[in-house]
Amino acid sequence: MALFWKHRDFVIFAILLGVALAFPFMGIPRFILAAVLIMYCYATVVSQWNLVFGLAGIFSLAQVAIFAFGAYSTALLGRYLEMNLWYSFPIAGLGGILFSFLIGLACLRLRGIYVALLTLAVSQMMFVLIQTDAACSALNKAINPMSCVSFTGGSQGLGDFGSFGWRAVLGGRNWMTGDYYTMLGLLVIGLIVTYLITQSRMGLAFRALRDNEELARSRGISQYKYQLLVFGASAFLTAAAGGFYAAHFGAVGINLFGFPLLLFLISMLVVGGIGRLWGPLLGAALLMSADEVFKEFSDWRNVGLGIVVLLFMIFLPDGLAGGIDKLHKLAVRVFTRARTA
Amino acid sequence: MSNEETQPLLACRNVFKYFGGLAAVNDFDLDVFPGDVIGIGGPNGAGKTTFLDVISGISPATSGDIALNGTPIATKKPDAICHLGISRTFQLNAGFESMSIEENTLVGAAFGLGDKGWFPRMTYNREMRERVERALVLCNLQDKADMVVRDLPVLDRKLLMLAGALATEPKLLLIDEPVGGLNPHEVDDVMEIVQGLIKEGVTIILIEHVMRFLLQLSKRVVILHHGEKIYEGDSEGLLNDRKVVEVYLGEGTADRLQHMMKNRAQNG
Ligand SMILES: Nc1ncnc2c1ncn2[C@@H]1O[C@H](COP(=O)(O)OP(=O)(O)OP(=O)(O)O)[C@@H](O)[C@H]1O
Ligand SMILES: [Mg+2]
Repeated sequence: MALFWKHRDFVIFAILLGVALAFPFMGIPRFILAAVLIMYCYATVVSQWNLVFGLAGIFSLAQVAIFAFGAYSTALLGRYLEMNLWYSFPIAGLGGILFSFLIGLACLRLRGIYVALLTLAVSQMMFVLIQTDAACSALNKAINPMSCVSFTGGSQGLGDFGSFGWRAVLGGRNWMTGDYYTMLGLLVIGLIVTYLITQSRMGLAFRALRDNEELARSRGISQYKYQLLVFGASAFLTAAAGGFYAAHFGAVGINLFGFPLLLFLISMLVVGGIGRLWGPLLGAALLMSADEVFKEFSDWRNVGLGIVVLLFMIFLPDGLAGGIDKLHKLAVRVFTRARTA
Repeated sequence: MSNEETQPLLACRNVFKYFGGLAAVNDFDLDVFPGDVIGIGGPNGAGKTTFLDVISGISPATSGDIALNGTPIATKKPDAICHLGISRTFQLNAGFESMSIEENTLVGAAFGLGDKGWFPRMTYNREMRERVERALVLCNLQDKADMVVRDLPVLDRKLLMLAGALATEPKLLLIDEPVGGLNPHEVDDVMEIVQGLIKEGVTIILIEHVMRFLLQLSKRVVILHHGEKIYEGDSEGLLNDRKVVEVYLGEGTADRLQHMMKNRAQNG
């Protein structure tokens, strides 16, 4: 038992990975498989967001904009340069890093709520820029002379830019399984990366700046450098996840920059547990399930999410992961007391 | 030796720090030589903490020159100043609340001596671990390495700040009120630890209101009042200085301290 708790994270990881790998062969209906793979995608984004928000304590809301940036980059590269999406993912990832660097740079002198406001403004600006992009683009005229599609697709969104290509490999019935494993691979990389960063010297710098910025700087940590590093480090997989999302759906839309998605993902972070390794996965799983329920009451979906976030912030500020930790500690205390009594 | 003495470790010239119209540090000069232990005293609001903030780059000087081994540092950032060899503690109990004592100290050990390049190293090396070990032993915290800061009593938090600063292997250590709020017994514990550091040859600037602590440890004392230096010299002279007794100590305290110093001289 003691051995289990010592290697708890590895054991959980191994079990979950086993289940996830076997999942498509358990006779699961397709629509559930589709929902789970999207859950993986969101969990990846939230795990990277957790680096900025939880580990470094920077209240950035830019993560969803970086995700959307990755999705649009992939779509544009695929559509206008006819690039194979497998090449455009890393390009989108690098672009995401650059985009995130700029946001991090803009936030350098800001603290707390002001970071949230600035990063929210960035998302809204992108939203409006794409929404108002309505002029027929010559590039699209070249593809289809009869149509009038703007460069970014404007408020209608953009399609026809390719996919993972699993349909050609696995056939029309099984392509979803290919998409599923692709997303799973991304999530596994995302979790390993966050784990390694958390354990590393760089992670120590992020936590030090989060806990006490003045003290951290007096101990030789450059706030400037590590803020840019956390914005950069968390952006690659986020933007790549955006590309994967675009590839899976074969379409991108302006809703990627919208407020509901932002609220949905931040709810995952809060509900799962900010700053916890398993928080993003727990949060994504719970909220995707809850969303299936709330879907019936579409108008009330955001209200319901808002209430869930509020309740967690008040009663379980460390989220589900934090709650489980507390339960475990309590159990250990009760157990040892019972033994010594 | 004499050659070394002509080059101060830290040289401050005409240092001013204004907050609006208030000169918190007013035309301050100070030379600190290797092996020095400088005690800074003075009434509340005299500008003692502000002076440390200025040296350590937390709150840069409005004007004036500060040099460490001849390198100007007045406009450098706190992390750069730390890398050059100045490390400090804070008057309020500053710590990385969510981390253990060991991790807290590791921050100083892993970043305090330099952090070159845009992409930093990701792992810790043996020297870093050894610096942590040494600092914890010096501050008597080696048995509590796994305790989390937010659960620590005041004494341990004060010692931890010292350990974190020492882990950066500073040429100059700045200590702000290390025994503020401690009971007499704990004051003695800290005194012993600081005496140990002095024996190791660490150069120190020390702020303290507890005069017996300040007088017993310092080789030279500086008294600040309204941001100005009103005294610099040894402890004896301090207790006989009219102005210091008038604005800071008061007759009673001065007499009591004089007794204490005499007793100490006789016994030791
Ligand atoms: N950030 C600040 N903004 C404005 N005024 C400040 C600031 N920091 C300090 N002061 C003022 O500067 C003066 C010196 O303060 P400082 O904290 O350096 O005093 P001190 O000698 O350390 O006092 P104490 O013994 O109480 O710690 C005080 O009048 C204080 O109010
Ligand atoms: Mg002070």
